[in-house]
Amino acid sequence: MDADHGYPDGRVPLRELGDAEPRVRARRDGLRKARRMSNWTAAALIVGSGAAAVALAQHAFPAAVPAAGTASQAGGAGIPAGTTGASAQGTSGPSVTHSVATTTASGVTITTTTHTVNGKTVVTQVRHVPAYVDN
Amino acid sequence: MSVTTLTCATPWQRVATGDEAVAVAERAALGTTARVAVWPPESLSPACAAVDDVLAALDQQASRFRDDSELSWLHAAGGGVFMLSNGLAEAVGVALAAARWTWGRADPTVGAALISLGYDRDFAAIDQQRGEPLAAPLPAPGWQLVQLDGPLLRLPPGVRLDLGATAKGLGSDRAVRAVMSATGHAGGVLVSLGGDIAVAGIPPRDGWPVTVAEGPVQGGPSQLVRLPGGAVATSSVTCRRWQRGGAMLHHIVDPRTGRPADGPWRTVSVAAATCADANAAATAAIVAGRPAVSWLTSEGLPARLIGHDGEIRFLGGWPTVSGRSLPVPPGGHVYAGARPPGGAR
Repeated sequence: MDADHGYPDGRVPLRELGDAEPRVRARRDGLRKARRMSNWTAAALIVGSGAAAVALAQHAFPAAVPAAGTASQAGGAGIPAGTTGASAQGTSGPSVTHSVATTTASGVTITTTTHTVNGKTVVTQVRHVPAYVDN
Repeated sequence: MSVTTLTCATPWQRVATGDEAVAVAERAALGTTARVAVWPPESLSPACAAVDDVLAALDQQASRFRDDSELSWLHAAGGGVFMLSNGLAEAVGVALAAARWTWGRADPTVGAALISLGYDRDFAAIDQQRGEPLAAPLPAPGWQLVQLDGPLLRLPPGVRLDLGATAKGLGSDRAVRAVMSATGHAGGVLVSLGGDIAVAGIPPRDGWPVTVAEGPVQGGPSQLVRLPGGAVATSSVTCRRWQRGGAMLHHIVDPRTGRPADGPWRTVSVAAATCADANAAATAAIVAGRPAVSWLTSEGLPARLIGHDGEIRFLGGWPTVSGRSLPVPPGGHVYAGARPPGGAR
């Protein structure tokens, strides 16, 4: 490499594409054209495959699965379980009107009883404070 | 009440709540009550079996009151370096992460302090009125002394762990995951361990209806809220109380003093993305006292705090009227900071 093509400190820049001889340039242009065409072909194949995969996936899984899938995500170690229900909110769970659990100080048992009085459901919750609790 | 004994290894009892769309059962566990609610109702038996497995494993790993538990074995060894099971490594990791997150207010190294106060066995077995004088206070040595690297634990001599601020929350989180796995991720589930509640899957319309109560205080204010996801937990000083040397004690210890927390809150309920978060935050709020308000607010956690005077404070969008949905924030804290070794159950 000629020193006058380089930097004063001796480093030589990488050769630019336009610097090649005409014979080399023609061959290179041909190669470039072929490469460009195969790039387009590859891109078309990738897009087509992706679209087909999406179509198959939508066909294979019913609409409810994304919510359940989110729930299963919570099953992984270290993934907050709580994010599941929040994201599932709005999907179609049953209608539940009565309290199913009580958050309270541990050590207190709450028993829920249901009676039918004159055809109406009466739900009663009784707190059982263990005998060892002082108050 | 219609009570049906289910075909599970332990005596779950079916509870009729008035809704046919969900099945509910409960049983005694971990010194308190475990409750499962599932839909569709046919999932109840596999759900109970899954929760049984989780509770048995957690008790074997982390119980302070079982001589044959893994944790008791560590304590009996008097400190050192231990290779933990994945389950206990996760439980300890969660407890340490909770301590870090709560600035040491929920500190697992309060074990010796609790023992010195007399809480040295399952609560039901404590002599409530023992007249002996109260021992000198034992402030917690500090969670920073405990080093956990994957399953490898370095426990300094004399340091005793109590995972009470996170274990039930961890258990509820594990249980709902186990139930969803056992039921093929169909429907939804709620698990409550002593009032620390986690849910997973698809919730009932508008969320799981949950009562927020205070405990044994007669006439204590209660409220119905809807839990669309995540978790809610309550800590209170109104139960698990006993006497020593004429002093009334309770189970939530301030790590700084080694004495029962004496802040202005008697009961705190917190909603969070995970039950371990909610459990730790509720306990930390009791310990922290007044600064809990700014901390809970800065963390964006919906909370309901009841003062000793009965005044109720609502934070972070916790509904002030019954029947509304809890605005559970996304993203948890303690699991992100715990880095379990994987596969823990």
